[in-house]
Amino acid sequence: MNPGDEELVGLAQRGDAKAFEELVERYKQKAYRIAFDFARDREEAKDLSQEAFLRVYTHLRSFDGRSSFYTWFYRILVNICLDYRRRKKRASAEEFDEAAERRMESSSLSVPPVAPEQHAIAGQMSRKVGAALEALPAKQRTAFILKNHQGLSIKEIAVTMQTAEGTVKVHLHRAVAALRQRLAEFA
Amino acid sequence: MPQHNESTLAVCERLEADLVLHYYGELEGAAESRIETHLRSCEPCRRYLQEMRSILPLTVQSDEPPQSFWIDYNRELRHKLSEAKQNKFGWRHIPSLFQSWTLPALAAAAVVILALTFTLGRGPWLAPDAPMSEEIFLEVLPLAENLEFYRTMEVLDAMDLLEFMGSQAKSAA
Repeated sequence: MNPGDEELVGLAQRGDAKAFEELVERYKQKAYRIAFDFARDREEAKDLSQEAFLRVYTHLRSFDGRSSFYTWFYRILVNICLDYRRRKKRASAEEFDEAAERRMESSSLSVPPVAPEQHAIAGQMSRKVGAALEALPAKQRTAFILKNHQGLSIKEIAVTMQTAEGTVKVHLHRAVAALRQRLAEFA
Repeated sequence: MPQHNESTLAVCERLEADLVLHYYGELEGAAESRIETHLRSCEPCRRYLQEMRSILPLTVQSDEPPQSFWIDYNRELRHKLSEAKQNKFGWRHIPSLFQSWTLPALAAAAVVILALTFTLGRGPWLAPDAPMSEEIFLEVLPLAENLEFYRTMEVLDAMDLLEFMGSQAKSAA
């Protein structure tokens, strides 16, 4: 019989490396998928989910068992993903300025290659969906990802986001309404 | 696409949030019954629900990495954990200095050192009011004066002795 999370956490807190490895094995795929939902990039998702395990490892002694290990881990991971988004937004704002400058410099010298129509149509939807998700405020996006992609209940999302269930419902409703408007052409 | 704009305008605003919860299966009891009843008679809300069913799954971009990815994942994570363990071990020494027995011991040692310093090393720590040579001169001067006094007294004693010896000789003669 497999030991429960709490038992493994207890062993890991006492320095049992095997117990911690078992926790990693148990949650690494879920962690990766959540991180991928936020980052939409394989390498970034790997780094973010690994960062969550590292943070769990270094703060394992502070876990007091008031919530389940799963919820605690989710919260850490989601916070890391939100930090990543904030950093990315700042970086992309700077990149955007640089790219605009480069475009202005090269526009008079070269004509951009015309992509095949099929390729353009296939990529259009993915880009629009990505942009629509990116445009959502952080809390709406978090609530939406945890519900739509991960299938968490409203209650679980509220615990993870450390907010009221009513607030989660509002975030979710606004996220869906915004996405519906932005992606109406795909309905 | 005018059709979608129309549906956006026509959807029952007071039920929009419940429609979202209904889509995700988060409504229960009377609220769920109410929305089901409403959906049977409201075309725009049915269309809204249908749009959610078409659009929202598109936002999920699944990724199934190959087995090699997970092998690398485990190796990298093990490496990062061992680095974290070393850092953690290094930092752990600092709190160990503040264990229950070390603080009183360190405090006692500090008190002893301070007491010895103030007791044995008091002289050298005091700043002299005057230069050393002057201080010695001031201490020696009274002694020198006394010495002169004693010398004078010795001469007088000697004179007294001579007088005494002279008077003795006279009386003997």
